[in-house]
Formats: sequence, structure tokens, C-alpha cells
Amino acid sequence: MSGFKETLKDAVRQMSFRTSLESLKKKGVQQVSVLGIDRIIALIEAAVHRSLRQHFHGIEREAVADATKTEFLRMLRSNEDLQRQKSEVERQKERAEEEIDVLRRDLANQQQELNLKLEQSAMSVASRYQGENAAIAKKVADVLRTLSSSENLSVAVAEEKVMELVMDVVSSERKAAEEARAALRDREVETLQRRIGKLNESLGQTERRLQEVAAMKSIDGGISSIYRDVQGVAADDAHQGKKKELMAEIFKANLKLQRKPGA
Amino acid sequence: MSDSPKKDHGVLYIGMDLGTSRTSVSASNGVRETVYSVVGYPKDVVSMKLLKKDVLFGKEAIERRLSLKMFKPLEKGVLKYTGDAAMDAEAKQNLKAASDLIGEAIRLAKPRKDELVYCVIGAPAEASLKNREAIIEAARAHVDSVMLCSEPFSVAYGLEWLEDVLVIDIGAGTTDLCRMHGTMPEEADQVMFEIAGDAVDAELKRLIEESCPGAQFTMQMVKDIKERYGYVGEPSERCLVELPVDGKPTQFDLTDQMRRACSILIDPILKGITKLVASFDPEFQTKLKNRVLLAGGGSMVKGLDSAVEKAMKERLGSGKVIRIEEPIYGGANGALKIAHDMPAEFWEQLK
Ligand SMILES: Nc1ncnc2c1ncn2[C@@H]1O[C@H](COP(=O)(O)OP(=O)(O)O)[C@@H](O)[C@H]1O
Repeated sequence: MSGFKETLKDAVRQMSFRTSLESLKKKGVQQVSVLGIDRIIALIEAAVHRSLRQHFHGIEREAVADATKTEFLRMLRSNEDLQRQKSEVERQKERAEEEIDVLRRDLANQQQELNLKLEQSAMSVASRYQGENAAIAKKVADVLRTLSSSENLSVAVAEEKVMELVMDVVSSERKAAEEARAALRDREVETLQRRIGKLNESLGQTERRLQEVAAMKSIDGGISSIYRDVQGVAADDAHQGKKKELMAEIFKANLKLQRKPGA
Repeated sequence: MSDSPKKDHGVLYIGMDLGTSRTSVSASNGVRETVYSVVGYPKDVVSMKLLKKDVLFGKEAIERRLSLKMFKPLEKGVLKYTGDAAMDAEAKQNLKAASDLIGEAIRLAKPRKDELVYCVIGAPAEASLKNREAIIEAARAHVDSVMLCSEPFSVAYGLEWLEDVLVIDIGAGTTDLCRMHGTMPEEADQVMFEIAGDAVDAELKRLIEESCPGAQFTMQMVKDIKERYGYVGEPSERCLVELPVDGKPTQFDLTDQMRRACSILIDPILKGITKLVASFDPEFQTKLKNRVLLAGGGSMVKGLDSAVEKAMKERLGSGKVIRIEEPIYGGANGALKIAHDMPAEFWEQLK
């Protein structure tokens, strides 16, 4: 029997993987549940034993092997189901929390971007106008200088004329440009605002989902035992006689202890 | 458990080690849990509102102790319950704390509602009859059937050492030696004394106070330091510890103090071994000397197995000491094995 146990141990060891506490911590795992190898072995052994006992007479090895497999899988599954249900809820919760974090960060970014954009455009408009004004003034001065060199024209009239002309051109240019720019800005702002609205909405949704998950609280229905029936000392136990004797003594002592008065 | 559904899903065995400082469970669903044997109840309505619970256990209780009325219901290894008619309010509360603790330990084992729950509790060997009754009564409320056995027996049984074994269980309050020779241990098979983990803590505290003037520390800090560095014999590392002096962290080398404090365990253990060996069938004495098992949290003191073995060779001519692999769960694992091996009809009769 111990040979079998060793084989199982080896098999389990081969199937297991090693990881360091550090790397678990990096993954955000704070606590681990440890299932000792002896417990795993006991689990497997119990499965093997139970089906061996049920099929020992006459039936060929394959049936035993199949039954063992089924039994082991049944036990494993019933434990896994619960664990899965539980970890599924926990995963959902974690995911929702992560989502909310991402959304919050996103929202903050977008809002910041929007503010920046609005500030920037106000500033750049102001400085652009300043530059343009200077350029216009220079152009006007140039024109004036050319005109003043010709004699058969009153300077005042000429200036007025030129100014009128220039301002007309400039203001219409300006108007067109500003319209175009405003349109562009409005589009950007609008997109940003839409995105923020959407983010807000999904944030609310995720938060509601998180609340729902939290409300599900404990779905912990306990963990299945590896035994379906009461066991007793195994028939093939090398110390069967001695153990039975000891069990009887413990029982007797307890019977004495637990006998209710008057019973 | 009368309101529970049909118990047709399976049978859950729980092995429980009800210790002074720690209660551990090991169950046939693979669960293993341990909780400090401490129970706290909110002092008043305000604390209750704040804590949102009417009872706290283990670490959580210790952390919130300022707003709790605290109980260590297994102090000195037995339920502090005398059982006489004039049971005072304090004893009553202690009994309730014990019951709640046992309930918590069983909850920790995560039983399904549709499974039969059979529990074996390893209780201190010297627990009085009244104490045993109290433990049983407490457990009955939570399981379908329960049996008590002596804790050293369950440790040995867990390792399949069914005869000629000397189990030394070094707990917090007591060290329990128990000679096993195939049957349930009797009075004459047991030696118990109070030099154990707590005594080591007290001695270490004394030695630190003596040698580190001005160092500030609590009993809990002393215990933590011991659990980290405790050793006897040759030190494998220096025991360098920072303790505040006038609020400033200061390093102290406690290597020597540590060895001296932990070494107080050795002599009484040797005396106990000698007593149990000498009064044993001469024919089997050598065998017994070669099967000494160190268990309990205190057995984690480094080098203790070799030190006891060495002292046995000097004083008794021979000796072989083995330290149990899992001191925390040794008793619970053994109790679980006993639960497994107990025949159905016995469980039935005790329902
Ligand atoms: N690593 C360790 N080294 C030395 N002593 C330890 C260690 N871990 C726990 N202990 C001590 O073991 C004692 C508790 O042992 P335990 O078997 O849990 O007690 P009990 O059976 O009384 O509940 C305490 O005094 C604790 O300080």
C-alpha cells in the first residue's frame, strides 16, 4: 500500500507546479489555501479504496479502474463546483472593481483633457489675433509708404481707401477662419462630452453590478467530504485488530461519559 | 441540528484539537483551520453596534480586545467550569465561550448541511470528568455525534504509532507526557507539568529585562521573538532583535538569553520521560525510549529533539526522539483518523 501511496505522491508532484510567494504577491494574491500533499493523497486513496471494495469480487480490472476514476472525479467535481461558484463570484467582483477603477481613471483623464483643450484654445486665439494684427498693421504701413511717394493723391484719402479695403478683407477672413475653428472645437468638445457621459453611465452600471454581487454575499454551502458513507477501520489495514480494539475502548469511555442521567 | 435537511450527501469527519492556546480542525473535506482559543463578547451596546457582531474569535478578538470581554475558555488545558450547583456567572460565561469556540471550529471545517457530521475531539489528557462533560455538551449542539479522546493519544494514532510510544506535547500552558502501549492511556501513563511555552516566554522576558535595561516590550513581543528564534543547543543564527529604548529602536543580541529560556523545557521533560520509562515493563523500556514523539507548538523550538535525545542518552543510556512534522495539526489529524476508523454503530449509539 505504501508503494501505491508513493506512486500517487510522485504523480501529484509531477502534476503540480511550483511558484514563488513573490510571484503570487505580484499577481496580487495575498493569501493562499494550501492543500497538503497528504490530504490530496488521502482523497485519491479514499476514492480508490471505496471502489475497490465495491468491485473486488470477480469483476475484471478495467471495471475497477473505471469506477475508481468516476468516483474520484465525482468527489473532485463536487468540491470543485462549490469552489468554482465561490471563486466565480469573487472573480466577478474583482473584475467589476477593476472595471470601475479603469473607468474612473479614464473619466478623470478625459475631463482633464477637456479642460486643457478649452484653456488652450482660449489662449491660442488671443495670441493668434495679436500676431495677425501686427502683420496687418505692417502691411498697411507698407502700402502707405508706397502711396505717399506718388504726388497726385491726398494722403488722407489714400489711407482711408486702403484701410477700408484691407479691413474688409481681413475681417471677412477672420470671420471665416473663426467659424471654421469654432466648429472644429465644438466637435472635439462634443465628442469629449459624449464620451464622459458614456463613461459615467457605465460607471453607474458597474457599480450597480458590484452591489448586486456583494448582496449575494455568502453562497458558501460548505465543502463536500470525500466520504459518502461511514467508514471504519479498513479491512486491509495491517493493524486492523489493534485499531478496532482501540476504537471500542474510546467508544466505551464516551458511552460512559455521554450517557444521559436516567437514560 | 434538528432543523437541518436530509443528511444523505455524505459523511464529514472532523478531527479537533482543543488546545489552551489554539484550536485546530482537520476534516475529511480537506479543510484544515486553526484559531486561537480566545473568545470575545462586545462589552456594551455601543461596541456591539460598532463591531456588528455578538461574538468574535481568535485573532480578530485579540485585535478588538479593548471593546470586548475576553475569555480563554481552555486556560490551563481544561474548561474552567466546575460543574457544581453554585456555578457562578463567570463560569457560566466561560462555558458559553467554550461552546461558541467549538462551534466556530466546526464552522471553520465548512460542513455541508446535507452531510452527517461526526467529530472526534482530542482534549487534554488530564481534563477532569466534569470538563469532559462540558466539552461534549458544547460540541453536541453543532454535530451529529461526537467523541472525546485524549490529545496525546490522537497525536500518536495519527502517525500509526499504536503501541509503545511516548508522546510529549509541549503546549502553551502545559507540557503533557503520555505513554501509549496499545490501550487508552491511564492515569499512570501520564505526566503533566506547567513548564511549557508560556513559561519559556516568562523566562525570556525576565532575562531580557535583566540584560537589556531600558528596553520596552510586551509579552506578545517576547512570544513572537521566541516563535521566530527559539532554539536550544548550538545557535544556527544570531538572535538580533530591535526593541525601543526611550522610543528609539535599538538592536539587542538575545542569542544567549534565547537558549537559556528555551532550555528550561529540557530538564522537566527528562524527568517525565524517566518516570514513565522506569515504571514501564522492563522488557519494553528500550523500545519505548526509542519511540519518543515531540508534538505541540513548543516542539518547534529548534534543536529540542536533539537536545532531549542527547540528554536521554546521557541519563537513560539510549533514546531516539522524533519531532512531529506538523505540530499545529498533529492532534487534529490524529483525531480525524480516529473518527474515520470508528465503526458506524458506535457513532449511531452516541447520537
Ligand atoms: N515556532 C515556534 N517556536 C517555539 N515555540 C512555538 C512556536 N510556535 C508556537 N510556539 C509555542 O507553542 C505554544 C502553543 O502550542 P500549542 O500546541 O498550540 O498549544 P496548546 O496545545 O496549549 O493549545 C505557545 O507557547 C507558542 O508560543
